[in-house]
Amino acid sequence: MDFFNRIPTHMDFEGQARAEKLSRIIITLFGAVGLIWGYIIQQFSQTVYILGAGFVLAALLTIPPWPLYRRKPLKWQSSKNGNEGQNKETSKKGKKK
Amino acid sequence: MHSLLQRGNSILAYALSVLACLTFICFASTVFLNYVTDAKMNTVKVVVKNVPDYSASREKNDLGFLTFDLQTDLTSLFNWNVKQLFLYLTAEYETPSNELNQVVLWDKIILRGENAILDFKNMNTKYYFWDDGNGLKGNKNITLTLSWNMIPNAGLLPNIFASGSHSFKFPAEYTTTRM
Repeated sequence: MDFFNRIPTHMDFEGQARAEKLSRIIITLFGAVGLIWGYIIQQFSQTVYILGAGFVLAALLTIPPWPLYRRKPLKWQSSKNGNEGQNKETSKKGKKK
Repeated sequence: MHSLLQRGNSILAYALSVLACLTFICFASTVFLNYVTDAKMNTVKVVVKNVPDYSASREKNDLGFLTFDLQTDLTSLFNWNVKQLFLYLTAEYETPSNELNQVVLWDKIILRGENAILDFKNMNTKYYFWDDGNGLKGNKNITLTLSWNMIPNAGLLPNIFASGSHSFKFPAEYTTTRM
């Protein structure tokens, strides 16, 4: 379980913005190309397949939190009286368990 | 957008919206096209019999037999929003008891990619040409027309009548011999 928890799943804020923008661009582009190609060969199924390929590509590129999207992590301020806070937290956790 | 599932959800939702948009464009690009084409029809052999129609009652009704020629080129009807054509041949006539009678005599499905240039000679009808009385014997004006349903990917399901029809008459005597 520890191993799975260590896999990063979060992006930083700028990474999220980039990922969303990239996925929109990829899907829109594939949709447009698919529409034109499907119209040229008069096969709407080709349009759908090309859009599907765009979806798969966008999913691969923007769903996993690639290092590209984790370049600017937030710099949290360190807590003022760190020791007490930590002690409180650990004691709370202990109670829950 | 901060978790895997949220990103997956937003990408899927966006892709489906784009798909809906593309489908609408496909529909809009074909909705105003004119699908009427020419079809040539001719009847070869026409006879009428007077036999009991057991499917309805035991009364004797008129049953027409005919063979027909059909010539038409439907390749121009197919585009990226047409999956198949359902062709049907209708006989239309007037009798003293009914102002309008319509009987479907024959039909055919043409899928996209199949041969759409039809040239049939001396074809038998697929369905019985029953009249609900004795309106066929000696009827002077029976009109054959070809129509088709177009089954699209998206959009309307139009019912189109081919330009071109054929009128014929039934003989004034019943045929009694077996055919």
